[in-house]
Amino acid sequence: MVASLTRRFGDLDIAEEAAAEAFATAVERWPADGVPPNPGAWLTTTANRKAIDWIRREDQRGGKQKEAQLLSDDDPPEPPGAIDDERLRLIFICCHPALAMQTRVALTLRLVAGLTVPEIARAFLVQETTMEQRITRAKAKIKAARIPYRVPSAEDLPARVSGVLAVLFLVFNEGYLATGPGTDPVRHDLTAEAIRLTRLIRALMPDDGEVAGLLALMLLTEARRTARVSASGELVTLDEQDRGAWDAALIAEGHRLVRERLAARVAPGRYQVLAAISAVHTSARDVRDTDWSQVVTLYDQLARLDPSPVIALNRAIAVAELDGPEVALAAVDRLEHRLAGYHAYHATRADLLRRLGRSQKSRAAYDKAIELAGNTAETAYLTRRRDQLG
Amino acid sequence: MQYLVSVIFDDAGLATPEEQAAIDVFNDRLKTEGHWVFAGGLAAPSSATVIDNRGEEAMVTDGPFLESKEYLAGFWIMEAADLDVALKLAAEGSKACNRKIEVRPLL
Repeated sequence: MVASLTRRFGDLDIAEEAAAEAFATAVERWPADGVPPNPGAWLTTTANRKAIDWIRREDQRGGKQKEAQLLSDDDPPEPPGAIDDERLRLIFICCHPALAMQTRVALTLRLVAGLTVPEIARAFLVQETTMEQRITRAKAKIKAARIPYRVPSAEDLPARVSGVLAVLFLVFNEGYLATGPGTDPVRHDLTAEAIRLTRLIRALMPDDGEVAGLLALMLLTEARRTARVSASGELVTLDEQDRGAWDAALIAEGHRLVRERLAARVAPGRYQVLAAISAVHTSARDVRDTDWSQVVTLYDQLARLDPSPVIALNRAIAVAELDGPEVALAAVDRLEHRLAGYHAYHATRADLLRRLGRSQKSRAAYDKAIELAGNTAETAYLTRRRDQLG
Repeated sequence: MQYLVSVIFDDAGLATPEEQAAIDVFNDRLKTEGHWVFAGGLAAPSSATVIDNRGEEAMVTDGPFLESKEYLAGFWIMEAADLDVALKLAAEGSKACNRKIEVRPLL
């Protein structure tokens, strides 16, 4: 609804205020008056009226012409296709490259997902006033710089979709990394929100491979959520997880999407390859059944798309299963100058050194990893492994 | 809508002949397509003078208003329907003059 209001009134602020007021009025009146026969239309009409009132109040002197223009705009209810276009436009404006990444995330969660400012602030561990300002400034920039409210042209679409997916992936990761008993439940909602929004994009762009890939990746990752943290709030790694606790329905859907993309015979992008790797893992009933050779091949493919050292690190972890920890450690050590500040680098070294029986070096690596790790579940896990060295 | 498209540089050098040629091609395009309002290259910051006449007397200072590593080397004023158009033009401008660019709306 915010989307169609934005189109009509050309202003995100007015749209948001009007929508909020319409909902508030509904909450007030419907219990007493009863729910109207067409609630959607009621909300839209009410919001339109409130927006016009708002413009009237704000624009006493010069607004007459604009007001007349708006009042004479007598659309019938939007057909479903048009509403979807509105929502797409809203997502693309919220994720515009001229806005900083954290701004895009905040704006998308506020205007597309409908989270409240306090909820978003809590999820990203910033002050409410900071988050409020971030969103206000974003809207001001959109207005001042005239960031357009439209779906990008065909030639711009791939880059812009990639930007939207990056925002959604960030939201998902933010929610997914929240583990442990002391976590604010809002952060769990972020994964659900990320999946919901990715499904929306997929419904709007059913032929886009990377959108399907990201959705598959999210589903296959989310499927393992409950198995990933023990009752005592400690991280449980993939090899130790109770695979019976994985969500079979999410895995089935994820696998379907991966198979669909394979059948499309189009060169896969990053998310599709990451999803395929997840699919290989989630296909194994037991960790010992994992097709590690396939995993390494997929990481090779991923590395060609993305030369990130983190990918090289994850590839080395898979190589350890195929060629042993010595070979893997050599590959990992080559990444030292690029990953020295990354806790997972040290955690990986620690594990490989442990398997090679080099306890002292392993302990030192675990210490470094614990120092750098931000997440309590991870820290608990790393501490336990280090203490097991004896 | 008009945008100030500023060229940012951190070196003493002026445009090389290749850069100047690319800028000329770009400027011709801006004119043909109706985006050109005005443009100019700027002399070095050391050639600037600051005047502050907010008080009793006009204060004159030698040099730019801001001492910084990066400075304004030139600018365009471009006409564009929205930021997407302005950014696309600015991207080409950045490639043509081989410098970093800032895009800022005029009020």
